[in-house]
Amino acid sequence: MSRTFPIAFPSLSLFLVCGLVWVAGVQAQDYIDVEAERRGDPAAQTYPETTEPGPGFVPQPPAGETGSASSAGELFYQLQLLQQEVMELRGKVEEQEYQLRQQREQSLERYLDLDQRLKRLEGGGVPAGQGAPTSTGIGAGTVTAPQQELPGESDAYRAAYSLVRSQQFADAVAAFRQFLVDFPGGKFAPNAHYWLGELYLVQVPPDDESARREFNLLLEQYPDNSKIPDALYKLGKIYFDRGNRDGAREYLDRVINEFGDSGSSAVKLARDFISQNY
Amino acid sequence: MMRQLVFLLLLVATSARAELVIEITQGKDNPTSIAVVPFAWSGWGSAPEDVAGVISDDLERSGQFAPVKLANMLSLPTREADVYFRDWRTTDVEYLLIGRVAGDSTMTIEYELFDVFRQTKVLSGRETGPAEDLRMLAHRASDDVYQQLTGVRGAFATRILYVSVQQGYNAPSTYQLTVADADGARSEVIYESSEPILSPTWAPDGNTIAYVSFETTRPAVFLHDLTTGTREQLTNFTGLNGAPAFSPDGNSLALTLSKDGSPDIYVLDLRSRELTRVTRHYAIDTEPAWMPDGRSLLFTSDRGGRPQIYRVDIATGKTERVTFEGPWNARASLAADGRTMVMVQQESGQFRIAVQDLQVGRVQILTGTTLDESPSVAPNGSMLLYATKLGDRGILAAVSVDGGVKFRLPSRDGDVREPAWSPFLGDP
Repeated sequence: MSRTFPIAFPSLSLFLVCGLVWVAGVQAQDYIDVEAERRGDPAAQTYPETTEPGPGFVPQPPAGETGSASSAGELFYQLQLLQQEVMELRGKVEEQEYQLRQQREQSLERYLDLDQRLKRLEGGGVPAGQGAPTSTGIGAGTVTAPQQELPGESDAYRAAYSLVRSQQFADAVAAFRQFLVDFPGGKFAPNAHYWLGELYLVQVPPDDESARREFNLLLEQYPDNSKIPDALYKLGKIYFDRGNRDGAREYLDRVINEFGDSGSSAVKLARDFISQNY
Repeated sequence: MMRQLVFLLLLVATSARAELVIEITQGKDNPTSIAVVPFAWSGWGSAPEDVAGVISDDLERSGQFAPVKLANMLSLPTREADVYFRDWRTTDVEYLLIGRVAGDSTMTIEYELFDVFRQTKVLSGRETGPAEDLRMLAHRASDDVYQQLTGVRGAFATRILYVSVQQGYNAPSTYQLTVADADGARSEVIYESSEPILSPTWAPDGNTIAYVSFETTRPAVFLHDLTTGTREQLTNFTGLNGAPAFSPDGNSLALTLSKDGSPDIYVLDLRSRELTRVTRHYAIDTEPAWMPDGRSLLFTSDRGGRPQIYRVDIATGKTERVTFEGPWNARASLAADGRTMVMVQQESGQFRIAVQDLQVGRVQILTGTTLDESPSVAPNGSMLLYATKLGDRGILAAVSVDGGVKFRLPSRDGDVREPAWSPFLGDP
């Protein structure tokens, strides 16, 4: 117990002792009354199990004050335990209620967010630069303007992307590859390259060579795409993991130098990575 | 409990009076630069108080301002006609405050505040009052300057209550209830006892206080009028009588009593002396704090196994839990906005002051020391005072509600604890 507690908030153990004395005073009398009634009541005999001595029960003389007091003491002890347990349970229920409420709110938010994004996709894309790109890739609707959306493209892209969300990575790789075959110059092609790069890195075992190829392709073919800082950061990490610290540093510095003002989350990631590893 | 307290207090051995001295430990990153030029003194003899120094210290303590050192002032104007803005522009001073003090038994402070870049006067003011209140007049000037520049009402012209404990060798300990200006100056012992004094709190009128005293050998709540010095014992119930808190209208006092068994929250109507029981639970319910509407109370309860903050509607008794972050939260205190709640949070044996936004539920830990307790918020909601430890000594410290500004008010001697920040006093 802290020293704060006894001042404003009396020590719990101390309080329990006080409580015990108080409860004992009232409850002991109740218990004695009940006992006396039961003894005088022949009906009690019909419920032998209630008076059956339990383990550790010491038979008492009929007017045994001390006996009543000690079994009363046992009862108060039980009551204390019960109260303590109810309190702990109450605390748990309160906390779970709170967590449940929070989760409900969060899942509603997530649903609204997803719904909004799906509507955007169904509605035929997004204006350029809208939606913050993130290296975790939640900004799936982010594309650059020049490419035109092809018929059926957004459905195919969405299908492939949903595999990413459901963490079916192998299927997602296949789906994005097929997507690039079906819609090579499509509006979502840069995103597909980016996702392939990410997916090659998360599959087991990771295929960093393929990932590097996809990210480089994105860099060369779509230099204005909003996923470029993320791709540069990922390339930096791939080089670093391969032991090429200098090559990695070049990519990371590019993220910071070229996109330092863009508000891209990759900039912070690159900075953190440098400060942790260099 | 008494024994425990006394034992704890024995650990601190000092003597004499607890005067508080301020040390700023952390300020804002970009404080506003302001020059407070020494005020002209036209009274008899030497100036009784360095008024400009008081104002300058006030502004610095807020963490929002960086006062310019006297040595860096190129000129020392005391009248508008003597102000040359180029003297201040060259040293990047943003604001300039000049003034004059005059009087004998009644003192008058006149001052002008200038925006150096715009070269305009943005505020002029005048404070008049008895000579012994000259520091308070200076604090009022600080309040006006602060409000002009930050948009928030200043809380420099306020007072604080705290309990200090003196323990001499072979002598019984002495508990002192002290009232001082918010900067720790002009401290005055208003009640002294060889038995513990706890939980001092202010009535909204800024003149009546309540506290728990053990002078009758058991805890009892007392009312104390600061102007007349009259005291009145309010409660004398068996068991605990503690944690008094005045309602926002000042007509009722919430408190903790254990007369009916376990400690519960009661509300005492100060006019009819009628007592209403608000909580009824075999767990410990204590430390009530009023919501600004006066209809519900925050309190600490361990009904969930460990102390947490709950809110109870006084009329309906409906109770809900307020804190969920951290395994242990106690001693809630509310800022005047009714939304910013400060409390003591304990985690892994560390007691720290945390602030929770009651509307969005966000919690921020404000202090980094380990035994921080008894938070009390300034009436303007900008800072809060709390008790902490410096070495093995109890001291008071303050932190801004956003955690950015910190200062300490260590006492020269003795152990200081349980601060209570007054409401706004009188006319600003």
